[in-house]
Amino acid sequence: MNTRDLVLSALFTAIIVALGLLPPISIGIIPVPITAQSLGVMLAGVILGARRGAVATLILIVLVAIGLPVLSGGRGGLAVFAGPTAGYLVGYVFAAYTTGFLAERLVRPEQSGLVQGVGFFLAAAIGGIVVDYAFGIVYLAFAAGISLQQAFVGSLTFVPGDVLKAIVAALAGRAVMAGYPLLPQRS
Amino acid sequence: MRTLHVEGNTWAHRLPARGKLLGLAAFSVALFLTHDILLLGLAVAVAGAVHLGVGLSPAEAFRRLRPVFVTIVMVALFSLLFNPLREAAVTVLRLTALVLFAATVTATTAVAAFIDETTALARPFERLGLFQAADVGLAIGLVIRFVPEILDRHRAIQEAHAARGLKARWTTTLVPLIILTLRDADTVAAAIDARGIRRH
Repeated sequence: MNTRDLVLSALFTAIIVALGLLPPISIGIIPVPITAQSLGVMLAGVILGARRGAVATLILIVLVAIGLPVLSGGRGGLAVFAGPTAGYLVGYVFAAYTTGFLAERLVRPEQSGLVQGVGFFLAAAIGGIVVDYAFGIVYLAFAAGISLQQAFVGSLTFVPGDVLKAIVAALAGRAVMAGYPLLPQRS
Repeated sequence: MRTLHVEGNTWAHRLPARGKLLGLAAFSVALFLTHDILLLGLAVAVAGAVHLGVGLSPAEAFRRLRPVFVTIVMVALFSLLFNPLREAAVTVLRLTALVLFAATVTATTAVAAFIDETTALARPFERLGLFQAADVGLAIGLVIRFVPEILDRHRAIQEAHAARGLKARWTTTLVPLIILTLRDADTVAAAIDARGIRRH
């Protein structure tokens, strides 16, 4: 990995940490505040692409593992990996990679804003929701001694919030692509 | 940046980091293989006693672990909808013991020791050609170095909004924050290469 890619990834990890330290986001019309960190994971894939997005989230979970309170709410340390929701955290890496993978292939600078937005939304939703929940649900079922179906049903309550985050990530991805494009183009 | 390491010189602090991590892994396996409530209860008691001996006040220890405990309780309550009480109790005891052991390892192991272990773990993967083991320490250092700067930048963006009479909302601050931060990457990368930090 060249130095620039490593620095981009590390800087993005710093952005995700900063997002966790700032107060939860209220997006205009919706009165429910959402914590920005899982939004940060979708953003990493959408803005940096698959490889750097995955590295950025990997650095994040290494920071948590070594005992730094970088998750929102000041959480950190190995205790986080011992809890039942650890799968969602580890799944961040695969979610960012999937989001980046799809964004690199679905979105082109020549496309209209709307098409780009839809492409980024699909990338963010499939990576940040489908893939992340897959890891989260499997570990939750294992750690809590419940069936996969039960874990799946229990996770459904979080989907609407995450769909909202995917929309925000799509809009931000479009804006960053217009202002400072970093997404590698692959077909 | 504050760390979760607690300064001290207890027996737990003196154990080598690798040993503690391997011990934690072994305990995890044992905890998941055990279904006996008494054994799990004993594990919780032992883990709790060890954790309280680490140097943290009980209030502080509980404050740190409260979010994880909340998720454990919520998951247990959810599991009660479908499973007998015994299953939920086993889950609570098992996960609580695991969390307490893990928190003890975190509290008694310095960040530098963790970084050494992670670097050592990454070394066999160097041959894949994706990264160098020393990049671990470099990346961690970069994040710690730049988080305060990003927070300052966010404050500056908010002030710029205020100066223009606009309320600073996330929809208008998030994208400038990201772009301004990532634009630094080239300068930082050049500085790193100029110092030969990644020369191997």
